[in-house]
Amino acid sequence: MSSSSTPVSYPFAWDPPLAVPDRWRDLRDRSLVEVQLPSGDTALLVTRYRDVRALFSDRRLSRNTARYPTSRISPNNDLFGDPEIDSDPPRYLDERAIVTRAFSARRLEALRPLVWQVAGELMDAMDAGPRPADLMEAFAFPLPIRIICHMLGVPPGDNDRFRALVDGFMSVTKMSAEDVERCRAGLWSYLDELIEAHRAAPGDDLISELIRVNTTDPNALSDYQLQHWVRTLLIAGYVTTASQIGTSMAVLLNQPHIVEELRQDFSLVPGAVEELLRFQLMGASLGSLRYALADIELSDGAVVPAGSTVMLSVESNMDDTVFENPFELDIRRTENHHMTFGSGIHYCAGAALARMELQVSTEGLLRRYPKLRLAVPKEELARPAGGFLAAFSAVPVDW
Amino acid sequence: MSTGIRVTADAGRCVVSSLCVYRAPAVFDQDDDGHVTLLDPRPPVEHHEAVWRAARGCPTRAIQVEFEPS
Ligand code: HEM
Ligand code: SF4
Repeated sequence: MSSSSTPVSYPFAWDPPLAVPDRWRDLRDRSLVEVQLPSGDTALLVTRYRDVRALFSDRRLSRNTARYPTSRISPNNDLFGDPEIDSDPPRYLDERAIVTRAFSARRLEALRPLVWQVAGELMDAMDAGPRPADLMEAFAFPLPIRIICHMLGVPPGDNDRFRALVDGFMSVTKMSAEDVERCRAGLWSYLDELIEAHRAAPGDDLISELIRVNTTDPNALSDYQLQHWVRTLLIAGYVTTASQIGTSMAVLLNQPHIVEELRQDFSLVPGAVEELLRFQLMGASLGSLRYALADIELSDGAVVPAGSTVMLSVESNMDDTVFENPFELDIRRTENHHMTFGSGIHYCAGAALARMELQVSTEGLLRRYPKLRLAVPKEELARPAGGFLAAFSAVPVDW
Repeated sequence: MSTGIRVTADAGRCVVSSLCVYRAPAVFDQDDDGHVTLLDPRPPVEHHEAVWRAARGCPTRAIQVEFEPS
């Protein structure tokens, strides 16, 4: 693309903290916008919903970003791709299908009581602790990690150790590069041990199931692929969900009339969760990085040149040709096919789980705390600079 | 004359989002692998809106709906 303007820095800043970035409003004036990633590399952001949705299913875009000369998100791209793993069809689809079995609606609904139980225990602990409490630390981070631990069959006694390693590796906590590396190594060897333990004594957890499938299925995952998928579930499923729980509660508490509506009728919660997902409060399109294998023409004739790095914009959730009054938080929206979980063959494997955790969190917190409120002025909610997920570092609440 | 609909779903394209099962549980279900199955390929009119919405929302367009005179 011949663009004379300098690339805009991405992700766009939320400033003030609860206001949608101004950039989201005029972004779709052009179908293709050059942006600068945190690494300093540039990428082309596809901005319009129609193009974004079509390109998520376009095989000319490769997800093998570690195999092609793709722009880097961060100087150290560890989280985002592994050249040993083929992330494109056809092979990838067989692998993915082994994992997604564990995420069918029936299997997930069987987990819902556990999610309620964990939420209840966390709120008991909040009650017993100091006020105001930080919702991120007291609730939003522990909930999804405990559910993932359960799914993976991490013994309950290891939960804290496991979480400390994951937090360190994901840089949830501020740590030196050596400490992050130490956590990464510790986590990898813990996962090795865990897989070996399940091999020796299988249970009804996801890892045991993957191992079981492996012994019967000709398409079996290698040990390396098995490790890779377990890591991917952790990387893709933990901080994302935690961030969305925390930020969406902050946004809700800032709109008391919506909170009141929900309290009057909790059957509105799933719609509210969906609409808060559409707002994509904590994220950006960094998850949808692709490499163009060929020239690709967009609906207005603009061309994504072969060899470019592309991001499919989650800000297309604000496309007014698709969503009426897109900047309004409308919890009764029925036609809400947003791009927050992506689309096409890489559609988020954990989307139904994330939805369930968000529904239980929202309903649980509002039921338990009739006076739940932000304990700081909203201007003081801080998003960490340079983070991939623009979640608030803390969400202080009182009740 | 009222118009019915006929629903088809391609389990081979399904990526187990479970969206259709939550949107129209009377019409869509999943097999043991989580891939879409149909409970009712000619659902009564009260489910039509949910079925169209499920078809529009399927991430891989694995659901097809067509009108059928009845
Ligand atoms: C609100 C929370 C979440 C958000 C916003 C989110 C978002 C996304 C997005 C946008 C993708 C697509 C990436 C791409 O197109 O390349 C994705 C993929 C994925 N997500 Fe999530 N996710 C969330 C929660 C979860 C959870 C809870 C899990 C599982 C425990 C999970 C597991 C995965 C996996 C395994 C993939 C890769 C799927 C594939 O490549 O085929 N995610 N997620
Ligand atoms: S909406 Fe589409 S991808 Fe999701 S379960 Fe139904 S058929 Fe499968």
